[in-house]
Amino acid sequence: MITLTNVRKQFGPDTAVRDVSLHIDRGDIYGIIGASGAGKSTLLRLMNLLEMPDAGTVEIDGATLTSLSRRQLREKRHVIGMIFQQFNLVANKTVYDNVVAPLKLAGRPKATHEARVLECLHFVGLETFKDKYPAQLSGGQKQRVAIARALANEPHVLLCDEPTSSLDPNTTAEILGVLKSINERLGVTIVIVTHEMDVIRQVCDRVTVMADGAVYETLDLVPGGVPAIDNNPAWFVDQLKKAGETDA
Amino acid sequence: MPDVLVQYQTEIWRSIGETFIMVGVSIIAAILVGLPLGTWLYLSRKGQLLENRAVFSVLNLIVNIVRSFPFLLLVVFLIPFTRLIIGTAIGTAAATVPLAIIAIAHYSRLVEQSLLDVPRGVVEAAVSMGASIKDVIFKFLYVEARSGLVLGLTTSIISFISYSTIMGVVGGGGIGDFAIRYGYQQFKTELMMYMILIMLVFVQMIQFTGTTVARLIDKR
Repeated sequence: MITLTNVRKQFGPDTAVRDVSLHIDRGDIYGIIGASGAGKSTLLRLMNLLEMPDAGTVEIDGATLTSLSRRQLREKRHVIGMIFQQFNLVANKTVYDNVVAPLKLAGRPKATHEARVLECLHFVGLETFKDKYPAQLSGGQKQRVAIARALANEPHVLLCDEPTSSLDPNTTAEILGVLKSINERLGVTIVIVTHEMDVIRQVCDRVTVMADGAVYETLDLVPGGVPAIDNNPAWFVDQLKKAGETDA
Repeated sequence: MPDVLVQYQTEIWRSIGETFIMVGVSIIAAILVGLPLGTWLYLSRKGQLLENRAVFSVLNLIVNIVRSFPFLLLVVFLIPFTRLIIGTAIGTAAATVPLAIIAIAHYSRLVEQSLLDVPRGVVEAAVSMGASIKDVIFKFLYVEARSGLVLGLTTSIISFISYSTIMGVVGGGGIGDFAIRYGYQQFKTELMMYMILIMLVFVQMIQFTGTTVARLIDKR
């Protein structure tokens, strides 16, 4: 699904990513972990060419991104969703307008917009929030809107840059649950960059450990599911119920 | 109404009209040229979408040069240029040329600053969704920076009014020129005070409108 071949990225004298090759299978939830400055975020940004590699090729979904024209690259990006640590919603747009933005960019017929936006908001459980502005939402809700926005054009791949790193443990579990169900129900390949071990353990099928801009090791995992991390009993019950829903 | 205002009402209305023309042209120039120029300044900065050191340096230098001129000197300095495009260097139409130029330089800087306040991540998200440069500008940057753009324009308009008051030196007229010639030079202090009052009311109205609009459209 995603193949990086010998990609390298320099920032001035610093090499952020040095000759990394890796392959991500369709349908995987693939983790990339490492210490700060290990190059994991840069590696993720290379996958949709938010950063242009100085060398190497990037292939996604059968297309070699590194040899596409600007226009072709923009079109390809419509089916590569991305979410961020800071959510990056447009604060002056309502939830609805944030989610409809990618549909407009992709030139989808106007008549289909409303139904698709509501479908995506329903998926993340926020359809009643469509007229609110991001400032009126909690962190977890913002991230769910960002996920709905990333899903709007029915992406084949979802790139997640530290998606839970500014969220509390409960909200982290909630967002991981949403990502897991996107993977299972919609068959979207997910790449998660994080520094949180638990996130990798709970949802990833495969993980690459990065160090100093290079792949240190890649290993297969059996995802442990999203466990309870709080010691409040009501929260355990809540989580168990939620887990039941996701599986159903 | 005070006698002095009744006596000079024709001249007063004419000078208000001249001020409106001069400030109006400045506003149009600021929006039509200053806004794109400020956007280009922002986009050509280091790390931005159209990063280009040469373009940024040149634009930055031009804006700085225009803004560092004492305005009176800029007016005089531009006389040959004004004559070239208007045909004369004297009168209200001629006065709009230096005003438009300072307006462009002034507002473009404020536009650049407003855009710098937009979180980088918003632009990054837009690009990741496949937005073109045009989409990023109109559907993301201007939407997110809109209250700053309005406040910047408000500040600019008030400066334009101030700049327009000295256009008497090239026969531009306007309220400021009227206040100087009739009020100050002919020792009609009362008349000068009324002119200052008129300007004060204009400035208050503009500031109030600008602040209110900026607040209403800011959902951040």
